Amino acid sequence: MKKHIEQPEKGIQLYKDDKAYLAVLLDALSLDTSEEGEINRAVLKAVLDKYDEILKCIDEDEPFIASWFPYSAEILTAMDVHWWMIAQTAFLGVEAPHINDDIDGSARLLGTDFCTILRLLTYYVEAEKSPKPNALIALLHPCDGTTIAHQLIKHNAKWADVPIFGCDPPYWDDDRSIKYYATEMKRMMDFVTEHTGKKMDIDRLREVCLESNKEYALWQEYNDLRRAVPSPHDWTLGPPQCFAMATYYYPGLPQGTEWFKKLVANAEKRVKEGVCGVPGGERIRMLWFDILPLMWQFDIQPWLEAEWGVNIVMNMFGYTPYTPIDTKNEDTMFYDLAKRSLNDFPMIRQARGVADNFLVDIARIVADYKIDCVVWPGHMGHKDGSANIGMMREKCREIGVPFL
Amino acid sequence: METKIKSQALQEFQEATKTISNPELQKWLKEGGKVFGYFCSYGPEEIITAAGALPMRIRATGVDSTELADAYLSSINCSFCRRAFNAGLDGGYDFLEGAIWLNNCDHVRRIYDNWRRKINTPMSHQMSLPKTSTDAQVEWFREELEIFKDKMEKQLGVTITDDKLWEAIKVHNETRQLLRELYELRKADNPPISGADALSVIVASTCMPRTVFNSKIKELLEDLKGAEGIKDYRARIMLLGSILDDPEYVKVIENIGGLVVTDSLCFGTRICWADVDEKAGDPLTALAKFYIQEKPACPRAFDQQEIRAKFVQGLADDFKVDGVIGLRMVMCDLWAGELYMTDIDLKASNVPYLQLEREYGVVGAGQLRTRVQAFIESMGK
Ligand code: SF4
Ligand code: SF4
Repeated sequence: MKKHIEQPEKGIQLYKDDKAYLAVLLDALSLDTSEEGEINRAVLKAVLDKYDEILKCIDEDEPFIASWFPYSAEILTAMDVHWWMIAQTAFLGVEAPHINDDIDGSARLLGTDFCTILRLLTYYVEAEKSPKPNALIALLHPCDGTTIAHQLIKHNAKWADVPIFGCDPPYWDDDRSIKYYATEMKRMMDFVTEHTGKKMDIDRLREVCLESNKEYALWQEYNDLRRAVPSPHDWTLGPPQCFAMATYYYPGLPQGTEWFKKLVANAEKRVKEGVCGVPGGERIRMLWFDILPLMWQFDIQPWLEAEWGVNIVMNMFGYTPYTPIDTKNEDTMFYDLAKRSLNDFPMIRQARGVADNFLVDIARIVADYKIDCVVWPGHMGHKDGSANIGMMREKCREIGVPFL
Repeated sequence: METKIKSQALQEFQEATKTISNPELQKWLKEGGKVFGYFCSYGPEEIITAAGALPMRIRATGVDSTELADAYLSSINCSFCRRAFNAGLDGGYDFLEGAIWLNNCDHVRRIYDNWRRKINTPMSHQMSLPKTSTDAQVEWFREELEIFKDKMEKQLGVTITDDKLWEAIKVHNETRQLLRELYELRKADNPPISGADALSVIVASTCMPRTVFNSKIKELLEDLKGAEGIKDYRARIMLLGSILDDPEYVKVIENIGGLVVTDSLCFGTRICWADVDEKAGDPLTALAKFYIQEKPACPRAFDQQEIRAKFVQGLADDFKVDGVIGLRMVMCDLWAGELYMTDIDLKASNVPYLQLEREYGVVGAGQLRTRVQAFIESMGK
């Protein structure tokens, strides 16, 4: 139940520093008075609110947990549980001044051929540079890295008082697998109750799922608008923000729906007016089939745009099949939330099971988004994807699109 | 440092380890027998045996290039997988009637995807292996075993009855018990068999008809009774890691005085330290329990790290180990994390520990010698 957690000073400080850093960024963004600038600022505002939520929990000794986006956070929203994604600092801190030292520190733990994000999160625990949650929900897929990184956290004496639970992910995506995973997710819910004292209210879950359905439908609508030639937005607005808002910052919350409405309206207007996302004009429509480069995003993407007129029209994080949740009863909701967790979330959907989704998605995105070329950047953590290069190359050859 | 006795059985095991397809396996094939390869120590060999076929653990012995595989896999994939797939592309596994994968790691599971597209093995089968180990996972894996059993029946046109399963379980349990007897001898102050030779025996146990292997290992155990033990060593070493199937690698360590007396390897204790419960009511449930809860787990089992650590410590104590060498295959995430934890755990119990990186099929004798030499000296041996 409710338990006081002694917070590591450095961890809170880093968290506050990152928040301050992002606040400066928000100020800088306010110079951009365009509608798109406002939509982007709303995302950063949501990020800052998440920092505040956790800091408030710490101040008021309220329980909060660490989890991951692929666990259908609608469950946590419905339980009114405060949570933050344990890889948040690794994701968001990429532009922060401390990141290079942290990466060096993490290499001392796990070498350099291990996913940097996972290395960083284990490093932050080891170096006590992370807030300490009342409980941790470990992610055991889509890769070996997550499975073992959470064991490292569990093994770390500094987090010995943090209970940890992981749902066992089946390898398949059929009815049997979804039912199995739904049961695992119910066990996860019991674990959360045990360590936060918060209980599930099924009527509230229904409300949350209905709201989430609206968000996902709008996300789909937005993606459809990105198919336009030229695409209404470039890499600075779109897929990563949609993913973050629907799955992390506002899962099943009306604020998320409102944000999506603004995004869709803006994209619709731009499509109607034929406004191109790439300032100098869109010459090449690219599918970046992985996480967008985090540390070099202000180098690579602007260069691609300026030099080649490249628009990254879609990336792995922006593309999901958007299964709506059937809100008939508890079982249908958990079934569909489990289905979403296994089959919809970007990166999980492609990397978790057999390679087929990788190839199916490439073919569909290339056709739907009128893609001119596909890039597989070869992220060090994605060992499974790197074993798909032959299959991807053959698929791209078959559908007549260059593959790098 | 060598095993002192001359043993016909040992020689046959050594031969079997040197190639992918050994004489006993060839004989089996010549007589019309079918062979099914599996990619990980979680491969349900008992069901293959019960179907009347021969289970063999896939290796890439003798494969010294990845030229063919490189068109499909990348340099961040584990060298074992690249070489094993290369062997498949090159026809080295054309004799297989079937190949079986589990989602044991990101590299191996993708070999399934590539293999079924590029290599015409009559049956390719992928299984979903849980990452946690409660009863719900046992139930899940039992279903996976049942699906596999049904597929084997169809592939071979046979019926795998419970009786056949129990019979197979007995044979495989016997293999495990006999391997443990071999390990028991290695606890002695002067073990009668070297680590390199013991590794040959274990590798042979995964690629010969098991009844043949069982009778041959009995011969070997007989030969080893009262044999002169190995005295000229400086330190007793334990090896930890994933796939090590090359006795030459162990020989380098032993030639400078590090006698390998035990291990926690995929070709090692992790395949023989527990038995399937022969008294259980249902053979598939017994097998599922064995693979999920009873067999020493590998690092992908999320909730078993403490058990694994105790297992390693227990072996180190029982075999009076002076130092432990952790072997991590380059690019293997699971073992990168596992060995990081092992290092901490062993330090806490004052067991000297050395971690080495390796590539499958490459001995790298010079560097290995230097590192192990320094390690043995650091222990004051
Ligand atoms: S380390 Fe584990 S998963 Fe990898 S091959 Fe060995 S037993 Fe299988
Ligand atoms: S060594 Fe590691 S990466 Fe290679 S097959 Fe084994 S578990 Fe997979």
